[in-house]
Amino acid sequence: MTLKLDQSWQAALDKLKTWARINSPWAIHFNSGSCNGCDIEILATLTPRYDVERLGIKLQGSPRHADVLICTGPVTRQARDRLVRIYEQMPEPKFVIAVGSCALSGGAFRGCYNILGGVDQVIPVDVYVPGCPPRPEAIIDGVVKLLAKLRGADPSDTPVVFDPDSAGEAAILAGEDPVEGPAHAQQEEEAIA
Amino acid sequence: METDTCLQKAAELLAPWAQETIEPEPGRVDVAVAPGDLVAAARALMDARWGYLTAITGLDPGEEDGRLEALYHFACGAAIVTLRVRVPRTRPAVPSLIDVIPSVSFYERELMEMFGIVVEGTPNTDRLFLPEDWPDGIYPLRKDFRMEQLGG
Amino acid sequence: MASEKFVIPIGPQHPALKEPGHFEFNVDGEIVTDASVRLGYVHRGIEKGAETRNFVQAEYLVERICGICSHVHATAFCLGVERLAGVEAPPRAQAIRQIVAELERIHSHLLWVGVAAHEAGFDTLFMYTWRDRETVMNLLEGITGNRVNYSANVLGGVKCDIGPEQAEAIQIGLNFLEERTRHYLEVVSSDAMFLRRTRGIGVMTREDAERMGVVGPTARASGVPRDVRIDAPYLLYAEHPVELVIEEAGDLEARFKVRVRELFESYRVIRELLTALPEGELTARIPRRIKPAETISRVEAPRGELFYFIKSNGTDSAERVKVRTPTLPNMASVLALSVGHQLADVPMILAGIDPCFSCNDRMAVVKRNGDEQVWTWEQLRQYGIEYYR
Repeated sequence: MTLKLDQSWQAALDKLKTWARINSPWAIHFNSGSCNGCDIEILATLTPRYDVERLGIKLQGSPRHADVLICTGPVTRQARDRLVRIYEQMPEPKFVIAVGSCALSGGAFRGCYNILGGVDQVIPVDVYVPGCPPRPEAIIDGVVKLLAKLRGADPSDTPVVFDPDSAGEAAILAGEDPVEGPAHAQQEEEAIA
Repeated sequence: METDTCLQKAAELLAPWAQETIEPEPGRVDVAVAPGDLVAAARALMDARWGYLTAITGLDPGEEDGRLEALYHFACGAAIVTLRVRVPRTRPAVPSLIDVIPSVSFYERELMEMFGIVVEGTPNTDRLFLPEDWPDGIYPLRKDFRMEQLGG
Repeated sequence: MASEKFVIPIGPQHPALKEPGHFEFNVDGEIVTDASVRLGYVHRGIEKGAETRNFVQAEYLVERICGICSHVHATAFCLGVERLAGVEAPPRAQAIRQIVAELERIHSHLLWVGVAAHEAGFDTLFMYTWRDRETVMNLLEGITGNRVNYSANVLGGVKCDIGPEQAEAIQIGLNFLEERTRHYLEVVSSDAMFLRRTRGIGVMTREDAERMGVVGPTARASGVPRDVRIDAPYLLYAEHPVELVIEEAGDLEARFKVRVRELFESYRVIRELLTALPEGELTARIPRRIKPAETISRVEAPRGELFYFIKSNGTDSAERVKVRTPTLPNMASVLALSVGHQLADVPMILAGIDPCFSCNDRMAVVKRNGDEQVWTWEQLRQYGIEYYR
């Protein structure tokens, strides 16, 4: 569906859309051959300690509702078509975050007969989060980096890579003091004691 | 010891079909049987309620050997009995155990697609793990498999 | 038409997380009449890959077969290779392997309880178990330096030691978890709403369980006394045994109870090991090349018996590595069990594989204004892209 608007209205509408998207990006997760390590860490970001939902990030079931595709694992021969299809089903504009070493390059499985390589062999990737598996903080930071990029507006920008030195931004968002470590852990220790 | 009596009993049960019996390591007996005797041998173990089928391993000893092997591992406590079936590489075929062990289907499908050993009489011959566009006649776990055979 | 079958395809991508698998259920109204599965979306060719890598590299690879139970894969592989080489890991290394294995079981069972509760729509329990699971993740990270894929094992021993400080941290963590686990046991065995979804659902009799060769907690929930830790003790399970946890009912409730009760055994055995941790080296020397031989190595993974067959050929890499994971025999039982149940119960029966309705892999027949046409996958895809543009 395309609506013809005059330029100023179109600009206002785009601004509104970007605002909404940044405030609450909906994500979908697809495992194209992962060992589950990254998948459980993504799941962990949704659960009480990390709880990304309070930041407006919601994991969605259907690709039709998603802004962000979070991919884990190397791409296997059999999963390739499904991955492309899910990507195609997402509405524009869409963004891809590759999580874990395997999704970046094939990782430990490089050279195995059923592996095509990293996710970027099949679909364009916006953010790369390395690690085997990356910590939940790193995954959250990947999303934060993507949002920062969206604020910059041009989605076809160069890809960004998670940088452990700048993990502070995500840590603060996750309610942690970057120096003292996870705030929840301290509370829990007190609770246990 | 309990494991030893278990193994002894299995060896007795399998004696009618055994071509060769070795003990590769403590707690294990390796019995070679002819492909035609496989079902009868497995039935003997199952009828005596001797453990359960834990896995089927395919083995490719290399092209010069001219054979492929299928290893049926049965476990009872700590004891493991392996039925070793050798089939010619030119026409590899083993009978299905589906009548004796109903849950064998997945293992047999895996054996078929990975080694190209035909399992005669198994109900489902669809691929289990390999992709739909995998070329016919290419078996990844054989020693002569090369990545180039897959094409682009 | 009575003869017409209605097929519901599920997966490989489904709204809940976990591995992709494709299921097809034939249904008559709400009742499932037949089920089949297509695996292989995450088939990576690891068995072949392990043949082309040396033993040290292969250990790294098999550890990544599964991110939830990576430690047991590495343990099974190391035990097998050590046996081939005629080397035994020092007692302290074995104790540490066993502690990490039991901590992993705790993390895996808590994860499972959460995911299975989520399938039943009981998200509160999901969030609570996952919150508490972070405690054990902290402990694992404290010992090994990583939350997942710990890499505690090396061929011949372990990489990391457990000092007095860590031992104390583990004790404190276990005390907290034990108290929480008591609460979970109460919830899964007394919450009326939850029991409506679990009691009497997916019943597998002992005969069926034995016939289908199921393993692990699934078998033990049906009264089959099958646990590799007890049947064929490895590591220090002979000196510090776990007790068999068994339930007779064979339904979903029993599977919840078995797993939750197993947690208590894990807590107990870890405490026992921590107080009796043997002194000594962490690794034994292992030769690079290993003489030709075959071995079988079995361990009890959180999901059941894990089977490794390793053949060496005198070089520094394996001739053949065969892995049989516990899910394969259990999967066959799941398909058989879902027949005759309400479709709504299927996710609970599959629990942990959690499927949902989303994508259909094949060509579709579209009826429009009376004329029928067959669309290829490519056309259907293009139509979808255009429609939503």
